[in-house]
Amino acid sequence: MANLILRDLVKTFDRTEVLHGIDLEVADGEFVVFVGPSGCGKSTTLRLIAGLEEVTSGTIEIAGRVVNNLEPKDRDIAMVFQNYAIYPHMTVRKNIGFGLRSSKAPRAEKEKRIEEVATILGMSDLLSRKPSQLSGGQRQRVAIGRAMVRDPAVFLFDEPLSNLDAQLRTQMRLEIKKLHQRVGSTIVFVTHDQVEAMTMADRIVIMKDGYIQQVGTPAEVYHKPANTFVARFIGAPSMNMIPGAVNGGGTLALETGGTLAFDRPLPEGRKVTLGVRPEDLGPGHDNPVIEGKVTVREPLGHETLIYVGTASGEVIAKADGRTPPEVGETVRLGALTENMHVFDAETGEALA
Amino acid sequence: MQLYRNLTIRQKQIVWAWAFLALPVVFYTVIRFYPTANAVLISFQDWNLLGDRTWAGLDNYAKLVADPVFWQVFRNTFAYLILGTPISLVISFIVAYHLDKTRFMHGFLRMLYFLPFMTSAVAMAWVWRWFYQPVPIGLFNNALASIGIPQINFLNSTTNALPAILAPAVWAGLGFQIIIFMAGLRAIPRSYYEAARIDGVSTWTVLWEITLPLLKPTIVFLVVFSSIGFLRIFDHVFNMTTNNPGGPLNSTKPLVLMIYQTAFNSFDMGYAAAQTVVLFLVLLGVSLLQLRILRDR
Repeated sequence: MANLILRDLVKTFDRTEVLHGIDLEVADGEFVVFVGPSGCGKSTTLRLIAGLEEVTSGTIEIAGRVVNNLEPKDRDIAMVFQNYAIYPHMTVRKNIGFGLRSSKAPRAEKEKRIEEVATILGMSDLLSRKPSQLSGGQRQRVAIGRAMVRDPAVFLFDEPLSNLDAQLRTQMRLEIKKLHQRVGSTIVFVTHDQVEAMTMADRIVIMKDGYIQQVGTPAEVYHKPANTFVARFIGAPSMNMIPGAVNGGGTLALETGGTLAFDRPLPEGRKVTLGVRPEDLGPGHDNPVIEGKVTVREPLGHETLIYVGTASGEVIAKADGRTPPEVGETVRLGALTENMHVFDAETGEALA
Repeated sequence: MQLYRNLTIRQKQIVWAWAFLALPVVFYTVIRFYPTANAVLISFQDWNLLGDRTWAGLDNYAKLVADPVFWQVFRNTFAYLILGTPISLVISFIVAYHLDKTRFMHGFLRMLYFLPFMTSAVAMAWVWRWFYQPVPIGLFNNALASIGIPQINFLNSTTNALPAILAPAVWAGLGFQIIIFMAGLRAIPRSYYEAARIDGVSTWTVLWEITLPLLKPTIVFLVVFSSIGFLRIFDHVFNMTTNNPGGPLNSTKPLVLMIYQTAFNSFDMGYAAAQTVVLFLVLLGVSLLQLRILRDR
């Protein structure tokens, strides 16, 4: 059991700096998910923690020990790879046991450990199979088993679910979460899928271009995004962004006309972006924000998403599932003030 | 035309397939299968190329079994195979394994290794023949003499000649084998090695338990290919012992050279054909055996 601390972590490939000083503390037993678009540095960070890449500057601390110059095997970590990295010519038993190859434990103890892990993962009867005889989900489980058998302080997952089909992904997501609750080890999980991040994480680390954008619980990053990138990255469909400016008296004037009263203090005269999530925005609301013509409807059963063409571009809103407005109909969309986010138009930082 | 139009899509595909296949089929029949069948037939006959063919039954094969030269040649051929294949595979794997990890001048080094493969075997054999000459001509003996080691009789000794001829043959084949091995090494996903690094196993274990097992298809291919090559060795032997092909005292003579001499020096086509049939059966047997042993269970 161990915590993980990254301090001012920088990584340079040739002359390109890809990580610009990552600071993060992961508590013992915490499930942290790194999420971001491809090329944001999340996998690189994971590979640095694993010791597969060398740190350019900064420190990595696992269980109170700086591990910068330790070989991967000495860092007390285990990693699950995107393509599982299970060996096709070995049986499941040998694959899981491969994690114990360097251990000095007696043979019988190793065997016992393999059996234990197989039982936890529900694959005791598959131990003598070859990977080619397994399904995608089972292979994934072998890869996890191989990591578990080492009983590491920190588990590292590098996009382990992206090779699975949608249904299996949902199932494995749940299994990994249950496993974490059962084993209780520290987990660092990398994904580009914000739904995976939201559903699994204790805390989410959102990255972009080698910088951390925000660290917080799923609720925090969803309800209090630190900037427009986080606001648009988390949640689907993405948050609507409507340009405007702050007037005197704490009111916000939208470019499309219309003034909104805010009970929160706003910096006067600043150009801002108003962010409203589609599910918070709907027709027939007391506090109207914007109006436009419905261009497309997406019925989802319990609700209908409507795409509305406004003077500030297309916005997405939620309408009733039974009686949504017709295509071509002009609708006034409104939202509660507390569900509105205000960002600085230039920096994208959250203001209120 | 009406007839073609009435065919189903599947039938039309078949018509086209056979239209394109016709040429290779004719070619193979005339150039490969007919001579092969004819060779088998001739092996049961006596023929000196000019006269009539006369039926000889199993006489040629009986002669073969009783011929001490044939058994000598048979042993030589297998010596080329049994020494050549493993030595060339081990060397080419070691080179490929390290070349794969080298960034510095990678392309240039690879080209250097591949050059001998593109060089004419005849030219190569003559250069090596020169290397092997006694003092003051030969490179190797000059080098030995300069550090005070007695001369070695390379090509004129019944024990040294075969390995001396095998060396350039192995060297010539390395380039091809290295390229194939490197392609095989590249095909192994990097994450396999990374996972092994995290598991902390030794380099030796990685080599024996990950790299080599995953290279198995490559190894099977190269074993079969190089075995066929060594069983059919001819040009290196012929050019390096040109004064007395296959000598001294038949100690370097492979089966193909014996066939050549029987057919085109002695004009004993029936006997040569019988030797060819034996070579064919040996090649077939060795290849099948290797595939069987090395096949995935």
